[in-house]
Amino acid sequence: MNERDDQGRKRARLSPWLLLGPGMLFLFLFFFFPLYTLGRMSLSYRPSRFANPKFGWHWDNFSNAFSQYGSQFTRSFVYAALATLLALIIAYPLAYVIAFRGGRFRNILLGLVVVPFFTNFLIRTLAWKTILGDQGTVVGVLRDVGILGPTGTLLRTPLAVIGGLTYNFLPFMVLPIYVALEKIDPRLIDAARDLYSNTWRAFRKIVFPLSLPGVFAGSLLVFIPAAGDFVNAYYLGNSKTSMIGNVVQDQFLVQTDYPVAAALSFVFMAIVMVIVVIYAFILGTEDIA
Amino acid sequence: MSHRDDRIRRDQIRLARIGMSRRQFLGRGGALLGGLAIGPAVLAACGGSSGSSSSGSDKSVSISNWTSYITDQSKSDFTKDTGIKLTYTEDINDNDEYFAKIRPNLSRDQSIGRDGFVLTDWMANRMINQVKWVQPFDPAAFTNKSNLRAPLKSPGFDPTRKFSAPWASGVTGIAYNIKTTGKEIKTIQDFLDAPGTKTALTEMRDTVGLFMRSMGIDTAHPTYAKAEPAFDALEKAVNDGKIKGFNGNEYVSDLGAGNLAAAFAWSGDVAQITLDNPDVRFAVPDSGGMLWSDNFMIPKTTDKAKLATDFINFFYDPKNAAVLTAGIKYISPVEGVDAELTKMGGKAAALVNNPLVVPTDEFLATLAIFGPLDSAEEVKFDKRFSQILGSG
Amino acid sequence: MSTHSGTVTSTRGRIGRRLVDLAAGLGLVYLFLPIFVIVMFSFNQPVGRFNAVWQRFTFDNWLHPFKDKALVDALKLSLEVAVIATVIATILGTFVALALVRYRFRGGQAVNFLLVLPLTAPEIVLGASLLTLFLEPHLVLLNHNFALGFTTIVLAHIMFCVSYVALTVKARLRGFDWTLEDAAMDLGANPTRTFMRVTLPLITPGILAAALLSFALSIDDFIITYFVSGPSTTTFPIRIFGQSRTATPPQINVLASMILFGSIIVLAVGTLLGQRRERRLNKAT
Repeated sequence: MNERDDQGRKRARLSPWLLLGPGMLFLFLFFFFPLYTLGRMSLSYRPSRFANPKFGWHWDNFSNAFSQYGSQFTRSFVYAALATLLALIIAYPLAYVIAFRGGRFRNILLGLVVVPFFTNFLIRTLAWKTILGDQGTVVGVLRDVGILGPTGTLLRTPLAVIGGLTYNFLPFMVLPIYVALEKIDPRLIDAARDLYSNTWRAFRKIVFPLSLPGVFAGSLLVFIPAAGDFVNAYYLGNSKTSMIGNVVQDQFLVQTDYPVAAALSFVFMAIVMVIVVIYAFILGTEDIA
Repeated sequence: MSHRDDRIRRDQIRLARIGMSRRQFLGRGGALLGGLAIGPAVLAACGGSSGSSSSGSDKSVSISNWTSYITDQSKSDFTKDTGIKLTYTEDINDNDEYFAKIRPNLSRDQSIGRDGFVLTDWMANRMINQVKWVQPFDPAAFTNKSNLRAPLKSPGFDPTRKFSAPWASGVTGIAYNIKTTGKEIKTIQDFLDAPGTKTALTEMRDTVGLFMRSMGIDTAHPTYAKAEPAFDALEKAVNDGKIKGFNGNEYVSDLGAGNLAAAFAWSGDVAQITLDNPDVRFAVPDSGGMLWSDNFMIPKTTDKAKLATDFINFFYDPKNAAVLTAGIKYISPVEGVDAELTKMGGKAAALVNNPLVVPTDEFLATLAIFGPLDSAEEVKFDKRFSQILGSG
Repeated sequence: MSTHSGTVTSTRGRIGRRLVDLAAGLGLVYLFLPIFVIVMFSFNQPVGRFNAVWQRFTFDNWLHPFKDKALVDALKLSLEVAVIATVIATILGTFVALALVRYRFRGGQAVNFLLVLPLTAPEIVLGASLLTLFLEPHLVLLNHNFALGFTTIVLAHIMFCVSYVALTVKARLRGFDWTLEDAAMDLGANPTRTFMRVTLPLITPGILAAALLSFALSIDDFIITYFVSGPSTTTFPIRIFGQSRTATPPQINVLASMILFGSIIVLAVGTLLGQRRERRLNKAT
């Protein structure tokens, strides 16, 4: 019988591929091959307005994409970065308390974090529209307190969009940080407590650096979908908060200018892939699962 | 020795399986449930993927339309009268968006699962003359066709009304919350200067049309060169924050909830809005409003042309048209509706005096339609409008 | 597991701890605020077409949750898609996970990386690329172009679920004692029998967890589905998106609340059963 390595795996040639085959074939057909058709479409052009696009090495689509929609690209990444930062600020204390003071209730608390996201994504965003509405309590309080002017509104502002993005992807920040914190050897923490006289320094010097893999994973899991989102900008934003997701959605599903839309998606995808590859090189892909 | 090893190994395995019996049961149970669910799902999939308008033996028809264009009363009247089962879906929110939805399938002669849809004049022109994705009515079934009002009988895009039949006409104007704006809105400038959040329509011809008329530009024979100042004014309004966004029917919900001060709006919707917010009014700007018609057409991929024609034919009977108009409060294309409305009495009869529902000739004279654009011009208009909507 | 919540004595430390607790508590409130609004508005009786303004309390909506036929049809369609996609994705994904965990082979690292890619791609790119695939008039493998509809939605869902399933099962399988298989085979079982009677029952919880995850993802998916659905295949999220612009009946809130409460119950039951299994195992040792 074959020997098993330290992870319990046997060495083999053919059997793994027989098992992998169907799944990877499916991924190839419906993930990798479509990226090729996306690329092909991005280099196509429309012979006439309603004719099907023809392939033609039409690099113009890319230069148009940058010149016309450069601001939407930038805006998407800026909003996503802000949402990631906000998510980190809100998620970290939550993950910390669950990991270190959860005790028996850890699983329940984790469940509580995840449960709100069993409602539909769109309905949650619409609920924010109600909460942030002009006649709602939040706006009322902010106006009374003076943070908002007497006719200030929260809806249709960049703030509402970023708030929506932060909310919708919050669990993706909480869970990885929790996992990272939980993995920390408790003896290290006790040692740190003994070494440093107060918990804040122990945290800053030992706990936080050890939780960084979780922070990075969470940031990636929030940043990427947030940058590509269009629903939040659609419900909570205005003409000047449109993100690249809105443009792609508009070009594909309203204007039907498929080549331009494809070029935009392709560029966006390329930027995201670069970020992911850098991340993978630094930290390895084992941790994502 | 080997006996003991065997026992140890057996125990190892048994141990690992102890906690499993419950899970096994759950797992098997789950698989069984899954199997039960799959069976019908697979059958449904086989039937579903080919589109719903398949066999012609069952008397049913599937229609897509804009919202607020029918009432439950009219729907049940139709089925009672003709015996045809009606599947009615309000999934049209914007002409371009609907076109994009049906384009992949219709451009390859594949079913869209509908036997009829309703689109505005200029999109009807595209359907009939440019992409040719519609089929003619069944002439034998369209007995009430002659009831179509004279001014609508032969538009440029369909001179014999072979492919299209107006469903309703309406007026684009301004809906506003008088409490928020503080005063009545009479002109486009009033609209722009009003305090609070304001939106315009994603329908280019409505939004730009209103601006053009406010600047005295003729909309009946539009060209981009003539319309450019209107676009510039619109762009300036967006940049100054006077117009915060563009939408389709969403303004109804936002005005009702108090999230908007004013919006470009369609005449029949105000009744809906005032249910939630009685402070909302509708006004046609002094410089004139836009008049438009939405047309019923039959996609080329359905084999139920006769049933679809029966559908539109029902609503061209003045009695049924009157019931519909009383419910939706948009202008009817059918001759003799005002007489029927008066016969109905009560609130319906009062509508005869509402120029937005039964327009007088004087009122019609103040309205304008947005004339046809050829392909080249349309591209210029759409491109500029797109830029204003999506630009940062 | 040592408890380290014990020995902080300084006042500053205590205040610090209170602050962190407060922050965490506020975080939880923040998480549940929209849920509270959703459930609350399911009891609203709107006067117009939109459920945006609180009018008055009523049980009506819960008594007639299936009043909006189009909404219910959309939910049914979502369920159909989810079941089919989950079953196929679970089978495909589990095989992939098994291959990665049981064997060490050339290309294993690459496969791992390739599996992760679909998870990191933004949904809008996945949806857009699938749309271009289905629009492509000369599909290399099949000389047939797919009409956008049920099939295209199911295929799309299987695609993004396979990766999730594979990685979830793989994570669950870490630490699995494969020597059990060796033990069984030493005792005389052939590989198939070993797999069916030893391995499979033990990895079933992981597979079930992955299947549940896949099901939840499929039901909730909007962006990818929106790109590949045809004009007449309306899933639950698509119906909500389209309808949210023209009417929002409170039944949307009712159905969403039902799904929410249902998921909570499933989670609770799952956790309780898991705890019982732990106790049984502990007793046996």
